[in-house]
Amino acid sequence: MYPRSFHYHRAGSLKEAVTMLGQLGKNAKFLAGGQSLIPLLKFRFANPEHLVDLSFIPGTSFIKEDSGAMHFGLMTRHSEIEHSALARRIPVLHDCAAGIADVQVRNQGTIGGSLAEADPSGDWANALITLDTTVHCLGANGTRTIALSDFVTDAYTTALAHEELVTEVVVKIPPKGSGGAYLAFKRAAPVYPSASVAVQLKLAGDVCEDVAIALGCVGLTAIRATEAETALRGQILNDKTVATAAEAARAAADPQSDMRGSAEYKRQLIVALAKRAIQIAARRARGEKVEGAHLYA
Amino acid sequence: MTEAIKNGPTWVGTSLPRKEEDRLLRGRGKFVDDIKLREMTYLRFVRSPYAHARVLSVDTSAAEALPGVVCTITGKEVAAQTQPFIEMAPGQGQKIRDFPLAVEKVRYQGEPVAAVIAESASLADDAAELVQVEYEPLEPVVDSEEALLNKSILHEEAGTNQVWTGIWEFGEVEKAFQEAAYVVKIDRMHFHRFSSTPLETNVVIGQWEPKEDRIQYWCNNSFPSFAIQFIAAHLMVHIDRIRAQTSDIGGSFGIKITSYPQMAVCALASKKAGGRPVKWVETRSEHMTASAHGNERTFRDTRVALDKNGEITAIASRHIDDCGAYPRYEPLGCVIYSQVFCGTYRFKNARIEFTQTVSNKCPVGPNRGYSRMQHLWFLERIVDICAHEIGIAPDEMRLRNYIRPEEFPYTTPNGCVYDSGNYPKMLEVAKDLIGWDAWQKKRAEARREGRMFGIGIGTTLDSGTNNFGQSQIVDPNAPFSGNSQGANCKLDIYGEVVVAVGSCPQGQGHETVAAQVVADVLNISPDMITVRTGFDTERNVHTGMSGTYASQFVVSGLSAVHGAAQKLKAEMKRLAAFVLKTSEDDLEFGTGGMGPEVKAKSTGKSINYWGLANIVNVNSAVLSPELQDVTLNCRYIWRANFKVPDKEKKYGNLTLTYSSQLHIAVIEVDRDTFVPKILDYVAVEDCGVAINPRIVEGQVYGATAHAIGAALMENCVYDAVGNMLTSTFSDYTPITSMNIPNIKYGHISTPSPFTYSGAKGMGEGGAGPIHTISATLQDALFGQGIFINESFNNANSIFRSLKYREGGQLAQSVTLEKRV
Repeated sequence: MYPRSFHYHRAGSLKEAVTMLGQLGKNAKFLAGGQSLIPLLKFRFANPEHLVDLSFIPGTSFIKEDSGAMHFGLMTRHSEIEHSALARRIPVLHDCAAGIADVQVRNQGTIGGSLAEADPSGDWANALITLDTTVHCLGANGTRTIALSDFVTDAYTTALAHEELVTEVVVKIPPKGSGGAYLAFKRAAPVYPSASVAVQLKLAGDVCEDVAIALGCVGLTAIRATEAETALRGQILNDKTVATAAEAARAAADPQSDMRGSAEYKRQLIVALAKRAIQIAARRARGEKVEGAHLYA
Repeated sequence: MTEAIKNGPTWVGTSLPRKEEDRLLRGRGKFVDDIKLREMTYLRFVRSPYAHARVLSVDTSAAEALPGVVCTITGKEVAAQTQPFIEMAPGQGQKIRDFPLAVEKVRYQGEPVAAVIAESASLADDAAELVQVEYEPLEPVVDSEEALLNKSILHEEAGTNQVWTGIWEFGEVEKAFQEAAYVVKIDRMHFHRFSSTPLETNVVIGQWEPKEDRIQYWCNNSFPSFAIQFIAAHLMVHIDRIRAQTSDIGGSFGIKITSYPQMAVCALASKKAGGRPVKWVETRSEHMTASAHGNERTFRDTRVALDKNGEITAIASRHIDDCGAYPRYEPLGCVIYSQVFCGTYRFKNARIEFTQTVSNKCPVGPNRGYSRMQHLWFLERIVDICAHEIGIAPDEMRLRNYIRPEEFPYTTPNGCVYDSGNYPKMLEVAKDLIGWDAWQKKRAEARREGRMFGIGIGTTLDSGTNNFGQSQIVDPNAPFSGNSQGANCKLDIYGEVVVAVGSCPQGQGHETVAAQVVADVLNISPDMITVRTGFDTERNVHTGMSGTYASQFVVSGLSAVHGAAQKLKAEMKRLAAFVLKTSEDDLEFGTGGMGPEVKAKSTGKSINYWGLANIVNVNSAVLSPELQDVTLNCRYIWRANFKVPDKEKKYGNLTLTYSSQLHIAVIEVDRDTFVPKILDYVAVEDCGVAINPRIVEGQVYGATAHAIGAALMENCVYDAVGNMLTSTFSDYTPITSMNIPNIKYGHISTPSPFTYSGAKGMGEGGAGPIHTISATLQDALFGQGIFINESFNNANSIFRSLKYREGGQLAQSVTLEKRV
């Protein structure tokens, strides 16, 4: 189907985009990479009267390191992150970027757009929540910085005001001895995962000094599996502690039954993914190079 | 384009790169949506959100008031000026009234109730949203066994949900059960509903010129000669007033055969729009919910008799086929299954009670492997379950039950004649390719570690070139039998060799293989031959059975091409003998300095094709009187040598050729994710003589991928009230390259004695992977006490079975009665 007709506006700067949306009112929306919005328009599930395209604003697509943090622009495409040597230094980011949907989506979709969409099955929020991530925003009242955990407030809902947009995503580079992994289970390339697990941990010898575990697609937002983290923190990583943590992750998940699987099966997937992600993260923390990203049915 | 190179004594048998590839891969193909006509209008259907409801009112006034809307059309308007579509079922089924727009009731989610026609496609979308339809929901029926209870009836005029029922009984079934050493009973098996996802959806341009009283179609229907027969009767016009043309088609897999209702609406809409052409391009969601799905089938109360060696002596079963809301091409599927009544096996006694029912789901259409794959899957399940129950290895079980190579041509219990085959040889080749013994060892190791590891075999048939006389088993008065195809071969005015066929290929390479056949007849390069494919009722090379369906082009199409080329060659000989003043025996066909030519061996003199064509076409005064009948424009109609089957006994030959395939898979079910991971896969194929081995191999890969998708990923799911839950690719997950294992390919050749070339039709493939993956999962899960009784299995369903098994909730019943 074709979308209902709408007015197309091209913003020349971030500031102009914010002003435009403020002036155009409630029936206007930002258009970033369009990988969620365009299908909604074509199904006529979303029918905005105005679209403000952010694609032509200079300086919005970058990956750079600055004062111990990695910075990503609003319009940085998934595929740019996938192929960035810099981003590879935080393996969880590479895992996530390289497995999002298919090549076409990765070439077009953006990290800023994905976070602002806050789809409960989206990959980025789940991967990034295991890291110290802040979202820089620009709105009518100027700029502000929001911790990612405060940014996504509910399914498809963020702390952004209507005319406010994401300008930059900033991820603190984890300390030495850290490792991470993001594993998502997908039935086919172009679909959202059935479940995903992100793990970021720091080892001191065999002891897990610190850990963050997040679960995706099994709740309204990414879920921090705090009980699972507690099961590992300060413990020696072995089959038993990993299994205990994975079981705690199963309990933390709150999935719905749908075409991607039954709630019970998704909980089982969380266990399988958590075990593997913890193991990969630990190996990476020890300096091993481990390839790993999405799993396909 | 690189020059064609022959790699054997003949062009037939050469893996010639496809002639059509250059055009198609460069985006220079011509598809229906590429056609732009003056004053074109665009159609959008208004579809029912309900699976079963009464249509109380349809208000199109707001849509008609929208600027840019040309007109609208409703079910009531259609019913007022047309006859319902032909129903092939006799009796009660005959009373079903099928109109292309719902009149009083809607019977599946997505059924069109009205259409809007506008100046642009997006305006048509806007207008469709403004059509107000009032519904009164009715009790939906989404299960075939439930449907047979007739608690809620879809077609009140028929008075029943049953479309057709018949019994196939051959041999001495009960005697075989009395004498059996083993009897195995399987209470229920179920073959799921899936479909095809061609790159190009259904597209139609229809134009009904009121002044000329002539209907024109540009369409991608894959069996247009059949479609226009339905449309002509429905619109009450003479069939010669309908011109249907096809061009390039981006995949059909059979399901584009049933686009005739939408074609009919386009014509009616065009008439109402004053003769302006009406284009309809189906969206992907429409395609998923409302084009056509494959047949779903439930197998009930199966009993299998076996002797003490594990040879099957009899099968008795009750099959219930679900054809969706309207029968359309059905109930032909009720008979088509019996083309492969005994599969690849020798048993002589069988009783199948076959019933078809409607339900509140999308109507079915002939989906790749149509009606036979369901039955072949049923037989393969029986073989594996029985082998397991009586303790025989699945490969050994098959060898004991396969039809023996020396028994071909083999007459099946229901009178079908299998032309050729060597199933034990295919098994041997497949085992070699996969490394059978090594995998057996790995399986033993894996099982010691408690892993769920399976190796499975699937044997399947691809019956091609059907006998339309099978329709008389459904309805004794059906005026169809045999099979035919037409071709034309000519030297054009300047001597070009031009071949035209009545097929409408969708990637099968007809241009290439037809050129190969003609190149051998005339001893020239295929590069020198132009092949025109695509159906056109005004080009006069079609017959009433022309199209591309049922794995038959290599037989029906190429036999027609071969016949036409030989007729042309005979004329060229007479003409060349006259010009070169020699006898026909002295002539040699080949290529000289002036292109393709005919040469007198005795004198060395020759005449090229330009010379021959010149005399007949523009220089005919030099012709001698006895050559006045030479046209160099030769049409040939090929007909299969079929008889009408015995309608009472349901006995007779239904298909000309039987390609076979044997697949082996190795699968491990992950103990954490329950993902059935394919570790190794082999497909061995026997289509007799391969005209173009590379095209055959490509077809095998495509059919294998499609059926792996069907076995593990693709399932049309409806909820209890008939909402289709898999209407997008995100939910339906058609298979992509990420999910396709590396497929090892093998080929054996048992030439058909029934075709001029020894080739057998092979495009559909017989859905080998569905049987094979079921068999392999079965092998992996017997140890867990699980019987695979569903054709669709994914990680989620395997997990569920294992959990239910643990919890004692698994309702599966297989029993073994031992009498030895």
